[in-house]
Amino acid sequence: MSTSVEIVTLENLRAVSRGRARAYGITTAIFGILEIVWMGQTHPGLNTTIEFGANSSTSMPELSGAWRVIVLAAALLLAGISAIATTQGRRFALPRSGTLAVRIIAIALALWPISLWLHVNVDGILRSWTVPVHVVGLVIGVLSLLAGGYLAWKRYDRGASATLYAALIAFLLTFLVWVARGSDVSGLHLQLTSLLALSVSAATCLMFGSLSGTICERSGVVNIAIEGQFMVGAMSAVMFASAFNGAGISKTFAVLLGGVFGALMGSLLAVMALRYKADQVIVGVVIVAFCSAITQFLSSQVLNFHQNLNQSEPLPVWAVPGLSKIPVLGPVLFDQNVLVFVAVLMVVAVNILLYRTRWGLRVRSVGEKPIASETVGVSVSRMRYGAVILGGFIAGIGGAAFTVGPGSSFSYGMTNGYGYIALAIMIFGRWRPYGALAASLLFGFTIAMSANLNIYLSQLVIPQQFISALPYIITIAAVAGLVGRIRPPAADGIPFSRE
Amino acid sequence: MRLELRGITKSFGSLVANHNVSLTVEPGEIHCLLGENGAGKSTLMNVLYGMLTPDSGEILIDGEPVTIRDPKDAVARGIGMVHQHFMLIPVFSVTENVILGDEPVRPWPFVDYRKAVTMITELSQRYNFDVDPHATIENLPIGTQQRVEILKALSHHADLLVLDEPTAVLTPQEADALIMILRSLKEMGKSIIFITHKLREVLEIADVITVLRLGEVVGSTTPAETNEEDLATMMVGRSVNLVVDKKPAAPGDVVLEVRDLLVEEDRGLTAVKSVSFDVHAGEILAIAGVQGNGQTELVEALTGLRGVTSGSVILKGYDGNLAGAAVRDILHAGIGHVPEDRQRHGLVLSLPVEDNLVLDQLSDPRYHGRFGRKLRAIRENARTQITDFDIRTQGPELEAGSLSGGNQQKVVIARELSRELRVLICSQPTRGLDVGSIEYMHRQIVANRDANVAVIIVSSELDEVLALGDRIAVMYDGKIQGIVPPTTSREDIGLMMAGAGNAATSEEQA
Repeated sequence: MSTSVEIVTLENLRAVSRGRARAYGITTAIFGILEIVWMGQTHPGLNTTIEFGANSSTSMPELSGAWRVIVLAAALLLAGISAIATTQGRRFALPRSGTLAVRIIAIALALWPISLWLHVNVDGILRSWTVPVHVVGLVIGVLSLLAGGYLAWKRYDRGASATLYAALIAFLLTFLVWVARGSDVSGLHLQLTSLLALSVSAATCLMFGSLSGTICERSGVVNIAIEGQFMVGAMSAVMFASAFNGAGISKTFAVLLGGVFGALMGSLLAVMALRYKADQVIVGVVIVAFCSAITQFLSSQVLNFHQNLNQSEPLPVWAVPGLSKIPVLGPVLFDQNVLVFVAVLMVVAVNILLYRTRWGLRVRSVGEKPIASETVGVSVSRMRYGAVILGGFIAGIGGAAFTVGPGSSFSYGMTNGYGYIALAIMIFGRWRPYGALAASLLFGFTIAMSANLNIYLSQLVIPQQFISALPYIITIAAVAGLVGRIRPPAADGIPFSRE
Repeated sequence: MRLELRGITKSFGSLVANHNVSLTVEPGEIHCLLGENGAGKSTLMNVLYGMLTPDSGEILIDGEPVTIRDPKDAVARGIGMVHQHFMLIPVFSVTENVILGDEPVRPWPFVDYRKAVTMITELSQRYNFDVDPHATIENLPIGTQQRVEILKALSHHADLLVLDEPTAVLTPQEADALIMILRSLKEMGKSIIFITHKLREVLEIADVITVLRLGEVVGSTTPAETNEEDLATMMVGRSVNLVVDKKPAAPGDVVLEVRDLLVEEDRGLTAVKSVSFDVHAGEILAIAGVQGNGQTELVEALTGLRGVTSGSVILKGYDGNLAGAAVRDILHAGIGHVPEDRQRHGLVLSLPVEDNLVLDQLSDPRYHGRFGRKLRAIRENARTQITDFDIRTQGPELEAGSLSGGNQQKVVIARELSRELRVLICSQPTRGLDVGSIEYMHRQIVANRDANVAVIIVSSELDEVLALGDRIAVMYDGKIQGIVPPTTSREDIGLMMAGAGNAATSEEQA
């Protein structure tokens, strides 16, 4: 009835987000001050060990002098290209992701010979670094203070939420160390490389899940059933792979089958939400309940008695030749399970799909203002069906990443609520594929951290559940809108009818 | 394009929206379709655009009968539609909006944005539109958004443009610019159907005028053969009084004093920027302005529906600041409110008329006793109000949603006036009403003024503001540009609505 025509200028919106950036900066700075205060009184007996390249498999080959020069030259060349691409990217219409990738590889390549030259490499294994805990704490505190102060001063919109998130993790860590002061704890043993590598692999299923959510919500359908799609994907994939004894190509088909079952659940959601215009959130929750029940039934009635149906070998780990040997970055990014690469490629593919293709333009339009799409002859329900089924397929593959990826057997409850975390990640990533990638990595880091710290924490009075709850606490913070200016697709979750 | 509609009939259940409607649009003609709300203009155009299927009748394009099943068909036949509520996606760029549905693709499935931008730049230059293809829609002024909408139709090679109430959201200056554009399109041989209920515009630009009433064609005429009074008579079916009857105002003391009011809208942007004004007993202060310049937020703040950042609202005889007070306190202090959107904020559509009539007095001892609601008193009250305010309903127990727009508005005003009022705030009091109901609302508003109530009306219809207001405050971008007497020319008020400061003609603050 009411015509809500609003005069919104970019300036107005920017003013709001700049105000928020300042608030985030101040918060970060306060974290920093608290950390400095705490670390000033830390018991001096504690040590932090930070190991680079803890994977012994990442021993580095000796390079001859000539090769070092060549590698360094290549790194400089790439760095130059990335600099040009950054400044001139607009003119040549280069995708930003390409520029970013070139820059990361350039840095990594440059690090390689430099680290060799610095004699970090002892006997082919990177030396670990032991520093007193309070020094680390103080450094983190000062860094938080500086970063927070700078953010509050410059009031950048972009990166404000990421800064706050990083500061929050650091803050919680230093808080734990502070709590541990004076107690008989041997020290914090951080294996940096394995921690990061674990983050990336933990982020894999989250990437698939949040991509699924992104596609669905871009089309205007809330897919809260990702958790359920994870479950059926995980179970069907492991059963298929075991049935063929994990032989050869069967694992590829197992992953695809997981996707197909996810897509099946997606189409169920689509029919209920689009044809019968049921409330999408309720249908989604019901689908999760259904998937949960059926997987529990099958695992107690079938898999329990036929163990041979519930064992698969892990998908191969693929080390990218050359790149996987780069210190720290190599094992983290280029020495991973095949599904990790699939996930990253999927992010790139979905981004292209949404922003470069006709299908993507139409999907985004029906998620924003379906009536406008309908008046130019775009079928709203057809676009939404497509998006929801594709989203289900991707979530199903994400489910397979729980089982046939790392080679675990299916156990009921293994999805652990990650399907809901994926939705938070989608919000955190502002309904964009690359945002989802970045947010997945951050959440993956939190998960890896909580897994890593359990050993440390078991020596403490604090229950380890506290740190296990970290990813979920951050999920709540993300959903509560602690992520800067977020704007969901305007028609998200609203059924469309012509009248 | 020559368009002919022959005997179009379309009914929804027992309601006949179009009955045997026929009209012909010649190439290069601006054909105005005039009629009250509910006369069937929109239904007819939706039939033409394939959104609705007619029960009978046929559509002929250049003499050939065609069937139009959906909007896609209409677009393919060269029919372009500019909807009243723009069919643009606010977060998309101009380019994305224009090409949606007909994207240049090369190689499949990638959209060829470069080609699209070239196409839009060319089109925009050819018609002198001055539109940046890369701009995001929500950052463009309404007038430009409308041009994008026209551009969209033209890019689909439309030969016939249908514009549905195109001037409703424009400032007078923007409306003039639109009329210039339409004239130049006409010279290029495009046919235009212009739907409106504003008589002044019709006489200005139409070549042919067709008047619809109650779903039937009443007659066709040309501007040379007719005048505003005749058109109004054709439209309503009886002679109407276009001028509001009112005696000169006899303003008393200041009743409501608003000082430095600052209000934020939903996203946290400041929507009302330090607004101050006084309202006297026995006068009508009309607040004019293009929609979305803070009027809605101002009214919501005054009636307690929205928080106030800072500033004060002082009601004489009420102890304390009403800014940010609870709605209940504000109502008890004697402020009546006819909200902008009566269906969402004025009524509970699924409740019976009788309950809607006492919605603000549910706990009043008259209607609520120790053991529950006094149903008989409520029914009695409803009977009286229905007679007094001439509410056309089958009975007090009927759902409010079943009433027509005008009668719904009568229920709202009847309820508000059943309390002792000091201030009456009416937001868009006649939006979407037929001429008869408009007359009625205007009479009620003037009667309240004469009963020494301080009245504030907010309206985006300049005619209404000029007809009713004793003083006119013009809002732009959250500020009051000036408060002027109703004798001020339309052009000057139009300029103020577009943001030009007008201190020279501003009346001194009383």
